[in-house]
Amino acid sequence: MALKNLKEIDKVADVVPSGALKQLSIKDIKPSTNNPRLLFDPQPLKELRDNIRQHGVLVPITVYQIRGQTKYAILDGERRYRCCVDLAQEGKELSIPANVVEPPSKIAGLLYMFSIHNFREAWELMPTALSLGVVMNELGEEDTEKLSHLTGLSEPQIERCKKLLAIDEKYQKMSLEPDPNTRIPANFWIESGPVVDLAKKEVPKLYEKLGKTGVLDRLVEKYQAKKIRSVIHFRRIMEASEIVEAPEDKTKFAARLNEYITNTDLETRRAFDEFVVDNRRISNAINACEEFISRLERAKLAFALDRDELRSALKKVQVYINSLLSKLAGSDAPEGANSDRAKR
Amino acid sequence: MIFEIPQVIRYALLAWRFRDYRPKRVTFAGLREWIRQFEREDRSTILNILQSVSYLNEGDVSRILVEQNEALIRKLNAAGIATKKIIYVSIDTAGSSSAVMLNLLRDACHLERRGCYLLDSRDVLGISQVSAKIDGGAIVYVDDFSGSGGQFSRSRDFMSQHLVGTFAEFFLVACICEEAIYELAERQVEACTGSIHARAQRPLHEQGVGLAVGDKNRLREYCLGIDGRGGLGYGALATNVVLYRNCPNTAPVLLRGTKGQEELVGIFPRTDDLPVPAL
Repeated sequence: MALKNLKEIDKVADVVPSGALKQLSIKDIKPSTNNPRLLFDPQPLKELRDNIRQHGVLVPITVYQIRGQTKYAILDGERRYRCCVDLAQEGKELSIPANVVEPPSKIAGLLYMFSIHNFREAWELMPTALSLGVVMNELGEEDTEKLSHLTGLSEPQIERCKKLLAIDEKYQKMSLEPDPNTRIPANFWIESGPVVDLAKKEVPKLYEKLGKTGVLDRLVEKYQAKKIRSVIHFRRIMEASEIVEAPEDKTKFAARLNEYITNTDLETRRAFDEFVVDNRRISNAINACEEFISRLERAKLAFALDRDELRSALKKVQVYINSLLSKLAGSDAPEGANSDRAKR
Repeated sequence: MIFEIPQVIRYALLAWRFRDYRPKRVTFAGLREWIRQFEREDRSTILNILQSVSYLNEGDVSRILVEQNEALIRKLNAAGIATKKIIYVSIDTAGSSSAVMLNLLRDACHLERRGCYLLDSRDVLGISQVSAKIDGGAIVYVDDFSGSGGQFSRSRDFMSQHLVGTFAEFFLVACICEEAIYELAERQVEACTGSIHARAQRPLHEQGVGLAVGDKNRLREYCLGIDGRGGLGYGALATNVVLYRNCPNTAPVLLRGTKGQEELVGIFPRTDDLPVPAL
């Protein structure tokens, strides 16, 4: 049942049908499992509490009865409920008017969960991806834009979730570990993906031997051994792979990548900074040269009257540049590579 | 000698009552050794505390869990929740007997043959997939004991975020402390239990009854003197329940002894209080 247009999407997202009105006490109500306390600013909550203390709950909350239990779960009105709980602790027991509706469908419940998560300060991507997977399966919808509208997630978030849904369950489980100290962040799979693809291209023999999961397992092992200090460091590998151009550099890079995958103890930056940092130094130097020339040009010095001091300064520069050029002359790097770098 | 006969009978009866305690067998000789660690004037009071222990042997635990479970299934079926829509969950935390209890229940109540799902609270992916598949029903957490309810709540709160659909939640537990009941109530998880262990039932608890004030204060000070942080058990709960598989970590040091059993030997040491046996 793929959704055709946004109107249809809004229909799916409709959570709350109409129902019967009841007066409930806080003991009859089950708070949300999504810990909405995280969502509420204390000041507006205090104002609402003061208002309820004075006038009671004027707008009914929306609840449904949990099958098999006598309690009601809240669909809408968690703030009002929280205020009543606080007031009960102060000794002011209030009854809460509640619109009792049918339990929400699976999709409606999930969309409610998305709306809660969208307001949360920090939330994990993997559980979100799993829920998105259910939404996609139930609705037969894979279009990123429509899913974004439906869930409130941004399109890049949807894309990232799709990547997570494509990985092996074994790895999904690693990102769902209850203990945050052993949990592999969901971003690990997103950032490591290009590196695994790179391994296929640059170290085909190793890739053939280990297979995709074998390479990924080695990276996981490395991460667990804290040799990947941040998953962002995978980008360093990609950056290095783009930088190396000379054949011997490429060979060196491939050998390093091979060693990086097979040797758990080799830390990411220690392995690849060499390729990246060197290039950065060169590009910084090129920028400095260009800026130097441009500033001198802007100063229009050709007809300067007081020349002695300027001439001496320029000679100093000349001496330094000559000495540097002589050191760089006859470099091992082939001419083509040097000229390419200069263009960059 | 003749004056010792009642004492001997008392020891023998106590040793018989606790004979199947798993981590360390309770024997007549062991019991006598244990009581001799304490000052002579305290021994009678300490024996009274031991006598008041709610001891749940394997048969008790199994019977309670099975009876409660059958009643729960009937209730859920009556509410329109088919047995195939029930997910049993073990709470996998350090030192927990939950997985063992779930296995016990699985075999005794033929849970798998009835089409129920059995999962571990750490298996979040499984929870998410199964709950999405059955689309609403009931979650039944299983354990033998719950003290403060903290461990249960942490595992349950993490797990419940990954549930898809609406589920009624129950905690099937052989014995539960009053403190945990409050934790459950906050989450509207219903306890299905054989007994609720009230504070008043714990002789060494601040609100416990059954001991003269002077005796209670002296023994509380004694416990805290041995282990300032855990002398009365985790969270100072001073529980007076012991289960055949292990003593709760909420029990006072008087019953459990100290870590390694060096400073004070317990009559109900926990498995991890005992030295690691040589291979």
